[in-house]
Amino acid sequence: MWELAVRSLEVSAILLLAALGELVGQRSGVLNVGLEGLMLFGGTVAFIATQATGNFPLGFAAALAVGALLGCAHGFFSITLRGDQVVSGMGLWILSFGLTTFLGSPYAGPLGLGRIESPAGLPPFFVLGVLLVAAAWFLLYRTGPGLAIRSVGENPAAAEAAGIPVAAIRYLCVVAGGVLAALAGAAYTLSYNPVWNYNFIMGWGFVSLALVFFSMWNPWILLAGASLFGLMWQLSLSPELVLPGILSRYVWRTLPFAITIPILVVISTPWFRTRWGLAKPEALGQPYAKG
Amino acid sequence: MGCGPVRLGRHELTLEPRQAPPAGYTVLTAVAAIVAALALASVLFLSADASPAAAYRAIFSYAFLNPHGLAATVHRSIYLLFCTYAFLVPLRAGLWNIGLPGQVYAGGLAAFAVPLLLWREPPGAPAPAVVIALMIAAAAAAGAAAGGIAGVLRARFQVNEILVTMMLNSILFWVVAYMVKEGGPFMGATAEGESFTLPAPLRAPLWWGVPFTAAAALGAAALLDLLFARAALGYRIRAFGESPAAARYGGVNPAATSLLVFLLGGAFAGLAGYHNFAAIPGVYKIPGNYGYYGDLGFYGMISALIARGSALGAVPIAFLFGGLSLGARFAQGALRLPFGVDYALLGLLMMTFIGSHVLQAFRVVWRRRAAAAPEAVVGGLPGA
Amino acid sequence: MEVVLAARGITKRFPGVLALDRVDLEVPGGEIHAVLGQNGAGKTTLMNVLFGLVQPDEGALFLHGRRVEFRSPHDALTHGIGMVHQTRRLVAAHTVLENIVLGHPRVRGVLSLRDARVEVAALCRRYGVGLDLGARVWQLSEGERQWVEILKALYRGARVLILDEPTSVLTPPEAAALLAGLQAMVRGEGVTALLVTHKLPTVMSACDRVTVLRAGRVVGRLRTAEATEDLLVRYMVGRDVAPGPAGPSGAPGRRVLEVEDLACLGDRGVAALRGVSFALREGEILGIAGVAGNGQEELAQVLAGLRPATAGRVRLDGRDITRLPPVARWALGVGYIPAERTEVASIGAFSLVDNTALTYHFDPAYVRRGLLDDAGLARLTRRIIDGFDVKVPHPYARARQLSGGNLQKMILGRVLSRAPRVLIAHLPTQGLDVEATAFVRAQLREAAAGGAAVVLISEDLDEIVALGDWVAPIYEGRFVAWLGREQADPETVGAMMAGRRREWAAAR
Repeated sequence: MWELAVRSLEVSAILLLAALGELVGQRSGVLNVGLEGLMLFGGTVAFIATQATGNFPLGFAAALAVGALLGCAHGFFSITLRGDQVVSGMGLWILSFGLTTFLGSPYAGPLGLGRIESPAGLPPFFVLGVLLVAAAWFLLYRTGPGLAIRSVGENPAAAEAAGIPVAAIRYLCVVAGGVLAALAGAAYTLSYNPVWNYNFIMGWGFVSLALVFFSMWNPWILLAGASLFGLMWQLSLSPELVLPGILSRYVWRTLPFAITIPILVVISTPWFRTRWGLAKPEALGQPYAKG
Repeated sequence: MGCGPVRLGRHELTLEPRQAPPAGYTVLTAVAAIVAALALASVLFLSADASPAAAYRAIFSYAFLNPHGLAATVHRSIYLLFCTYAFLVPLRAGLWNIGLPGQVYAGGLAAFAVPLLLWREPPGAPAPAVVIALMIAAAAAAGAAAGGIAGVLRARFQVNEILVTMMLNSILFWVVAYMVKEGGPFMGATAEGESFTLPAPLRAPLWWGVPFTAAAALGAAALLDLLFARAALGYRIRAFGESPAAARYGGVNPAATSLLVFLLGGAFAGLAGYHNFAAIPGVYKIPGNYGYYGDLGFYGMISALIARGSALGAVPIAFLFGGLSLGARFAQGALRLPFGVDYALLGLLMMTFIGSHVLQAFRVVWRRRAAAAPEAVVGGLPGA
Repeated sequence: MEVVLAARGITKRFPGVLALDRVDLEVPGGEIHAVLGQNGAGKTTLMNVLFGLVQPDEGALFLHGRRVEFRSPHDALTHGIGMVHQTRRLVAAHTVLENIVLGHPRVRGVLSLRDARVEVAALCRRYGVGLDLGARVWQLSEGERQWVEILKALYRGARVLILDEPTSVLTPPEAAALLAGLQAMVRGEGVTALLVTHKLPTVMSACDRVTVLRAGRVVGRLRTAEATEDLLVRYMVGRDVAPGPAGPSGAPGRRVLEVEDLACLGDRGVAALRGVSFALREGEILGIAGVAGNGQEELAQVLAGLRPATAGRVRLDGRDITRLPPVARWALGVGYIPAERTEVASIGAFSLVDNTALTYHFDPAYVRRGLLDDAGLARLTRRIIDGFDVKVPHPYARARQLSGGNLQKMILGRVLSRAPRVLIAHLPTQGLDVEATAFVRAQLREAAAGGAAVVLISEDLDEIVALGDWVAPIYEGRFVAWLGREQADPETVGAMMAGRRREWAAAR
């Protein structure tokens, strides 16, 4: 049972890191539906770098760099060129899906290095994720830059009029989001499941995206959502722990995804939105033209 | 407008938005995107110590000149075309159907469910034509149902269709795994992780060696273009895609439109599933690597985007992509190229498509900077 | 008196337009200075130059006689220039205090809202402003939001306030209070105010000096004490303007529209319309006067079928249409001209012909066997272009290429081409120049003369009083009164818009 809890927290950590970056980006008004792609790219680059050098920190550094780069690319298209953010995000996803399959396939297989040590038996990335949640909450609600980020996402014209550099803030948030998503991917391939496989992330990026909507853009609720989902995921991999031998393991695998859909429905109902959902950044997804 | 100018000495470089792109520009940018992606792909070949010229010669000659390769290219491009329509119809309504793999699986499973339920070995066999017709109808209906879930949720509750279709992809992927791999009713006799093979009388009829689905794919292209160019229904979909608020003001029913495009798109993906698993000679089963075919569906996404929503425009593009993805797999074996060139090409096409998107919407302007403003002279007041 | 802010020889070109042509401006300290001009005269561009939002092609700015250059609003703010925009630049979801401190150099790091609250409260006391600093901005009235904007500028240390059309969305009493507050601030605290407006009464009652702009040039500058409204109009327009035609619009006929106890919810799920009843006959114009956000937009949407009614009934020619979808209402003769021309009433990426189809794609006369009759729609579009004097090269031009006035004519023409029984026009002349405004008003009158019942929703009292056979001031989702033409003078209606009097004259 302890093993299950630890594993599920490892899953939660990956979802949490990616979703937290996306949350900050969305708070600044930029939607990145290509989260899945950023995670794939980060994970693949980290895996290759680590396997080539035998050095974990180098692998993580490579992932962070690639995440920042892809974040910049999304920023350039959606902030500077004011393109459709969905087009750009989808593009990033398919681009990453295609290129990582090519780049990673010579390295397919296990990493072949020891596991990353975890202090006190706690999954390190979950600890990091919780710290980052606290930091993100403090940043957004207790600091001037946080107020600026939230304002840029709500009403960029108002922020601009108050002297806030809208484009710069959005770039920073989007790049931070890219970095965190890539880190999440690296946590997958270097720690959770150190075996490279094509399209290893299997929809987790989209689940993270759903978690952001579910969280009502609040980092603490995001933490709760990611924890629950991580548990559900790990249970779906070993259903015999709960209900031995009832359904095929493949049917259990559908469970986390199947539960996400009704959750999405509930948070989209007018009832929910008028009661709880006013937190949605008003300018989310809308390009901002200065002046 | 555009982004801030990049200053280089006395000159500056800016991107200025185009008001109306020149005629023919759309075709030009589409071709440019494809050519650029192929050029970038040659970097991949070089990195694998293969000559790009040899690699492309191998890819193209197998895909388009070799009789076996050409037939396979045709079969695959029909599959990609149906996937293209599945993505294209919702896209015209501004909605993203990335549920192509899931809808393809749903169509394939439904097509195989029909013989599972109805087929008896002769004597007592039902008329094959009837069973085939039912298989097609079931595939389309199952695809439409899978798409329709996203459509209903979008129509009724404004649920993000990207997330729902993606969740359905994962769900249906595992459902197929269960059905064909682990005790499910579709398992083949040898239990090698494949479905049972379609009885010979139920194989799709071939016209000149090509399954009849080819005609359906081409006919659908013409009908879709007519729909969007001339029909009132197509107009409603386009209006909704450009501006949901304006369309609603003009009396378009948003819920009905969202649902309709997803039903229609899903049905096309279901047909793609039927074609791929029940109509291509030499296959006639849901193979163990069905996930690969699901992923190929994303080529449909990119061809719809590059064709900018024109179904007929997508025909040559899908044909080209069908050949490229097939030839790349062939060249992998023949030239010992790295695995996944077909996937990489998908990514590169997406990248160059976005680049062409930018070129379509913006003009790169290179000009001398204006001289600094002279000190203004304080003049007399203009007369009133 | 010392000239605090001056602009010399400011020229600004936009593609195809000379927005400002060698404009000189001198603003003496401790005064309220007005910049007067019609829409498109360059007022807003000039303000944006003064605030650093737009960089001039030529010319220079001087502050206290020293040359300054503003590359961004940030530069202007550090020099003590604050701007209050016409469209509110406030974050609706944030509190008043958060809005006021946003962007202040002191909130670079950790937010200490407690200190800020003390300071802002002191500022409120000093200038006599009563505001709940913890309230969310979306809960405030327009007048209160205006004060938030002003406080925000003052908190940033602004000594020169630029106010862009500050009274345009206020009720007359709110506007009077604002101007009085500004005057006190200018006289007592040495603040300088620059007021950009096209409203003559505002200029005459509250300002010390006025600079008049026309077509990007300064055409006059004078003390208001020496000016008259007629003189200012001549400067603004360049000639005398004949008053528009007045008088009742033809003999009323049968009852067309009956509305009973209509109620609906707003976007945030709270009641927006709380029981409105009236009836209109053929040929009658009802002017609904109100400050934005009092339920008039929701009323228009309920009548057009775009928002569900939570209670009540709507009848068209005796037939209950309360539950009919928009498409059925178009077919039955409900015509709607929404306020959002580019977002709702047209599709920018579509050609004008395709835009015409927006209200014809369901019409059997233009759809044959499921296919749109392109030739017929093109003919119809040409007729609208000619009949409504739309300046456009050809009917296949994109809607986004049209100017605001031309687009509005096109929309009006399209809606009127359906010969509606009921015409709902929401802010039909907002942002249009004098001539387009006159044209639109004449068309509304003509539609009524042709037998339509017209519901005109406007914030412009003069427009309401000039056109309406009946005037209904609306406040918090209810009609305050139902006035005949002769009872509806601007003062009475203005007071009612602010919820002053609630005498309910029963609908006929």
